[in-house]
Amino acid sequence: MTSHNITHEDEFRAGRELSLDHRKLGMWLFLASEVMFFGGLIGTFLHYKATIPSPESAELDTVLVGINTFVLITSSLMVVLGLDSIRRGSRRGLLTYLGLTALLGVVFLGGQGYEFVSLYGHGIALTSSVFGSSFFTLTGFHGLHVLIGVAWALLTLGKALRGTYSAQDHVGVEAFGLYWHFVDIVWIVLFTIIYLI
Amino acid sequence: MTSSSSPSTHVASRARQYVLVFVALAVITTIEIAMTQISIPATLASVFFLAFSLAKATLVATFFMHLRDDSPIYAAIFLLPVVLVLAFSTLMLMSAGH
Amino acid sequence: MTATASTTTAPAWRRYFGWSTDHKVIGVQYLVTSFFFFLVGGAMAGMIRTQLLAPDSTLVSAEAYNRLTTNHGSVMLFLWILPVLAGLGNYLIPLQIGARDMAFPRLNALSFWLLVPSGLLMLASFFVGAAEAGWTAYVPLSVAGPDGQTLWAISVVLLGTSSMMGSINFVTTIFTMRTAGMTFWRMPLFTWSMLATSILVLTATPVLTAGLVLIAMDRLVGTLFFSVPAGGDPILWQNLFWFYSHPAVYIMVLPAMGAVSEIFPVFSRKPVFGYKMIAFSSLAISLLGLTVWAHHMFTSGMDPRLRVPYMISTMIIAVPTGVKIFSWLATIWGGKLRLDTPMLFALGFISMFLIGGITGVFLAAIPIDLHVHDTYFVVAHLHFVLFGGSVSGAYAALYYWYPKITGRRLDERLGKVHFAANFIGTNLAYLPMFLAGLLGMPRRVVNYDPRFTELNQLASLGAFLLAASVLPFLYNVIVSWVSGPKAGDNPWRAKTLEWKTSSPPPAYNFDTPPVVTEGPYDYGEAAQGSLAPSPSAAGD
Repeated sequence: MTSHNITHEDEFRAGRELSLDHRKLGMWLFLASEVMFFGGLIGTFLHYKATIPSPESAELDTVLVGINTFVLITSSLMVVLGLDSIRRGSRRGLLTYLGLTALLGVVFLGGQGYEFVSLYGHGIALTSSVFGSSFFTLTGFHGLHVLIGVAWALLTLGKALRGTYSAQDHVGVEAFGLYWHFVDIVWIVLFTIIYLI
Repeated sequence: MTSSSSPSTHVASRARQYVLVFVALAVITTIEIAMTQISIPATLASVFFLAFSLAKATLVATFFMHLRDDSPIYAAIFLLPVVLVLAFSTLMLMSAGH
Repeated sequence: MTATASTTTAPAWRRYFGWSTDHKVIGVQYLVTSFFFFLVGGAMAGMIRTQLLAPDSTLVSAEAYNRLTTNHGSVMLFLWILPVLAGLGNYLIPLQIGARDMAFPRLNALSFWLLVPSGLLMLASFFVGAAEAGWTAYVPLSVAGPDGQTLWAISVVLLGTSSMMGSINFVTTIFTMRTAGMTFWRMPLFTWSMLATSILVLTATPVLTAGLVLIAMDRLVGTLFFSVPAGGDPILWQNLFWFYSHPAVYIMVLPAMGAVSEIFPVFSRKPVFGYKMIAFSSLAISLLGLTVWAHHMFTSGMDPRLRVPYMISTMIIAVPTGVKIFSWLATIWGGKLRLDTPMLFALGFISMFLIGGITGVFLAAIPIDLHVHDTYFVVAHLHFVLFGGSVSGAYAALYYWYPKITGRRLDERLGKVHFAANFIGTNLAYLPMFLAGLLGMPRRVVNYDPRFTELNQLASLGAFLLAASVLPFLYNVIVSWVSGPKAGDNPWRAKTLEWKTSSPPPAYNFDTPPVVTEGPYDYGEAAQGSLAPSPSAAGD
């Protein structure tokens, strides 16, 4: 007869020998695919930036968006401080920092929304030109990822409230953190290629 | 080992390191914004901006995402697509005008 | 859930129609579903080859013909070859590494259940005016045209997502769930091939997804990515498309190569020659495969500075491929060959893939490609690698692992009839196409110049023979599952772990987790491995 004398931990022993957690590995593999997805959109944006003159880009408000960049970078700090808290067993710290992360994410989205509306006011829209199409699509998909991140932050906060995480097991928090930092890194690249260069 | 909700005393906090990284990120971002307000030759500025963004991304990946502490396999998994995107973007920039 | 399921009969057939997180059930779901789409794609091919029996046939209108060729290609690639190989990976990886299931069983179920609606969506596109811009969907044609093109784009995005979920599972499982003693260098070559394949799936698919999103947005929302008057660049789409679709062909062949790598040592009763070289070559093909895509664009008006570099990178891929072929030949050489059906299909794979691969090197040479691009030379090349190669490999795998999956043996005589018809049919269908292409017959044409008539008729004859060849296979599979002779644990006397458990395997694959002490192909040497840890082993 079948006997399941394999415990859950034994199943992943090969991973532990390589210092790999299967959930973190899955998340990194997912992020690798996300890098490539944004890579396709970034390649598109850069191609058109180099080949089609875009006078509209003069309307971009670098200072405002620069402040928004600060907001997102700060949110990454909040995430990692939250992880630091739960590593030391502080559930309260985790809750606080997750809350701040979600809040800053919403502020970032608000800033993006404000920027989109003001650009629209200048006649720059998704369908107005190739620049409009590639700008709004690239930043729009990034914003969508932030939105999903905010929802995930709140989900993680909910689980933290129920005591799911502890100093010994908080891989879920780490996985969320990886996603959030990834979204931050994408923004760092986008800020550079869209607003700075 | 029992889990507890009060801070344990034997796992050191790395908050200081994280805040230092954040300060570095903030300083770089400030420099970037300042650079857009003064007039610099575009090509030179671009080189700096690209280098800065690479530095910021590396800081976030290395310290916030803990690539430095964890298995190098995670770093390899992240690095391959980054290299591919760099190559692909360069090619898309090159194929300008027909 | 109780653990009292019988260990010697397959799950009740009803299980295969519902949501299951058991990788073996999911694997079979993939295999059967993809074979259904193989028949659909084959039916379309039948219509195409019937139309092409005469140079001026009016059986099929020009528009309908474009829809047939577009969907024949799309269905065969996205709904047959990719999922059937993913299904094999799903079924075999945990068994081959001694694990009890995949790392993320629910994600695994989701991957399969994304396949079904995506496939139906692609077929449904026929009802709103099917996609007709070729499986390559070049812009600006694919941004115009019937609504079916949008459904096609969405369907491919969903299929890509399903594929990526699968690969996340495969890689994580392989890295973290190998049983005790299963080092990377003791992993079977099929598992290695799935690892190499997964690298491509995860890096290349998302770029196609991005491109398809742009097409969908142009069609649905009015963005201007590919609007030529606004400055949109058709070459951009080609780059986004081929960045995935070239590695896709390696995604479609690496698992088939992995399967034949399993079969040759077993049916030669010899260790694999060059085990590490085959593993490294799989990885090399995978990584190099990401650098060659623009060889599909030599005549497109791409940046001329980039053409020679792509030619060189494309030719380089022939090297690891050649290493594998020589390794397989050296494996067979001097062996005690058993020409059972899996071995016959594996041998067919080598010979036909070779023709396809060598003609691929011809095509890599820019001066040749300039003349034969978009002719039947390319159609012949691609069918030799995909049909002569991947499909032969898939058949070899299905015949080889059928006893493990079902607990029954397939009929050998029917298998040999299938092989003969398949081998003759493939060569008859596609060899004439090389000649037609060299003589100047373009591809994707509903009518053609009368001087190509005999070549087309030969090709159509071969295609009809291929259609007929499926019948003995289907009959064999269905009847044997119901009433074939029992297979036992290891009918082929193979040494990889899946053969050390019952046929079909029990719910969690192994009664006790296996401990590995030798490589997977050590034939002719005294067996040393055991299923259970020996009493003196330190508990680990």
